[in-house]
Amino acid sequence: MARRAEEEYDYLFKVVLIGDSGVGKSNLLSRFTRNEFCLESKSTIGVEFATRTLQVEGRTVKAQIWDTAGQERYRAITSAYYRGALGALLVYDVTKPTTFDNVSRWLKELRDHADSNIVIMLIGNKTDLKHLRAVATEDAQSYAEKEGLSFIETSALEATNVEKAFQTILSEIYRIISKKPLSSEDAAPANIKEGKTIVVGESEANTKKACCSSS
Amino acid sequence: MEKKRIDDYEVGPLPSPRPLDRFGFVKQDVNSSPEGINRGKSKDELEREERKVRKWRKMIGVGGSDWKHYVRRKPHVVKRRIRKGIPDCLRGLVWQLISGSRDLLLMNPGVYEQLVIYETSASELDIIRDISRTFPSHVFFKQRHGPGQRSLYNVLKAYSVYDRDVGYVQGMGFVTGLLLLYMSEEDAFWLLVALLKGAVHSPMEGLYMEGLPLVQQYLFQFDQLVKGHLPKLGEHFSDEMINPSMYASQWFITVFAYSFPFHLALRIWDVFLFEGVKIVFKVGLALLKYCHDELVKLPFEKLIHALRNFPEHAMDPDTLLPMAYSIKVAKRLEELKEEYEKRNGKALKSADSTAKQNHSEGVSS
Repeated sequence: MARRAEEEYDYLFKVVLIGDSGVGKSNLLSRFTRNEFCLESKSTIGVEFATRTLQVEGRTVKAQIWDTAGQERYRAITSAYYRGALGALLVYDVTKPTTFDNVSRWLKELRDHADSNIVIMLIGNKTDLKHLRAVATEDAQSYAEKEGLSFIETSALEATNVEKAFQTILSEIYRIISKKPLSSEDAAPANIKEGKTIVVGESEANTKKACCSSS
Repeated sequence: MEKKRIDDYEVGPLPSPRPLDRFGFVKQDVNSSPEGINRGKSKDELEREERKVRKWRKMIGVGGSDWKHYVRRKPHVVKRRIRKGIPDCLRGLVWQLISGSRDLLLMNPGVYEQLVIYETSASELDIIRDISRTFPSHVFFKQRHGPGQRSLYNVLKAYSVYDRDVGYVQGMGFVTGLLLLYMSEEDAFWLLVALLKGAVHSPMEGLYMEGLPLVQQYLFQFDQLVKGHLPKLGEHFSDEMINPSMYASQWFITVFAYSFPFHLALRIWDVFLFEGVKIVFKVGLALLKYCHDELVKLPFEKLIHALRNFPEHAMDPDTLLPMAYSIKVAKRLEELKEEYEKRNGKALKSADSTAKQNHSEGVSS
């Protein structure tokens, strides 16, 4: 079923994964797209890319996800990838308060470089490290409410809420897109209108690639 | 507390006895072994290799004493031999000779020790965060707080103090890690200095400075080179909205150390240290050329995947490198650099934010 479903879709949504270095962005992505978690993962240099096609609100949606290097200096390269993105997953590490403190700087990054109507979801990752938790759920929750973001806590390692996080943001994007008046294009109108970086094409990108492979 | 948490994800200090390849990396795929060619070496091959090492020893002299003389007298012989690959047992020494790092080391006694022991760096936590994420599958670096990780930390910290404008940037770890497999901490440190400060070739610190200016320049140059050398593919890339930042940033930022088969990365480094960064462009172009007929057929997503996962046969040094050597880029690179500076000069004069805007537009167009 997966194979066939991957080739056809009603919508193509571009989503970016951002947040401080080491918060687990790449593992959230590999958990979502390949159901893999890599204990020995390398730091991301530049940008990585993966897709997954899934059902959202009864429609087939292909999520095209760009995973970015978290270190501040890499924004010179990565911020170009915000453009045309319909959603952003802003990740922090629940065991590292500084990564939560930096969320406001990431929001500013998005305001400066992304489309103004981008859907943003705040994600507190690494909830499996219970004994090391240093950011309270309530604090993040109220921050998210104040900033108008949706919020969820995840563990890429234990595969907790990862599916739900992506489902939620994709549904939100879908709801916004489907409310818009239809333009003349029939497929994925919103994407084409937003323009530049959306490309339609089939994917087999994520088949049988071993975790931690040298590439 | 942050310090304690560097690698909670590590299961334990004892690495499992998984099979290693000849460079010390944990084997990923038992079926494919790029160095399989070397496993069953014939007597002939072994003898040839021994002869090669003897020639090299003669060329270098004891501890490198004859090297400079030899290079001055027969630069073409040296270039040709380096292109064929430096013998692994002499690689560390030769790298230090051709990069100019040996001279730096001799001119600066005690400096490295000072940097490691007495100075503190604002980047320490950033470095620690990435230590276990640098060559995590290599036997030297995988052990938590083991000698590999300690050396890596020391060199990166020392450099971040030595050049506070650069500090520490992700990617430097892979370069340093590769060096540490062939030389001591102090030697690796000075080689990093030689590269970034430009002891022999033009300085590469711009790869890691604020704004990553040299990465941006290299990506622009590479994009134009692709259009010039492989027009059909260049056009296909434009149609599919693929730009080099999607696949080639890592090539430049780590000089292929991040994700390429190690035996190929080493061969590239041999040439890179002697001839300079143009080999990175040549290898990049050679890869695209080798896979050209496949790549022009692929749509966006498959294309991105293919550009990050070249087939094994494309990455055989003995096929790829001769192809790379045959591609001439020096003159065009120089022109493109000027063109880039001219374009960018405009942006630099206007406000910083405008400059950024121009960059991002450049990347996605």
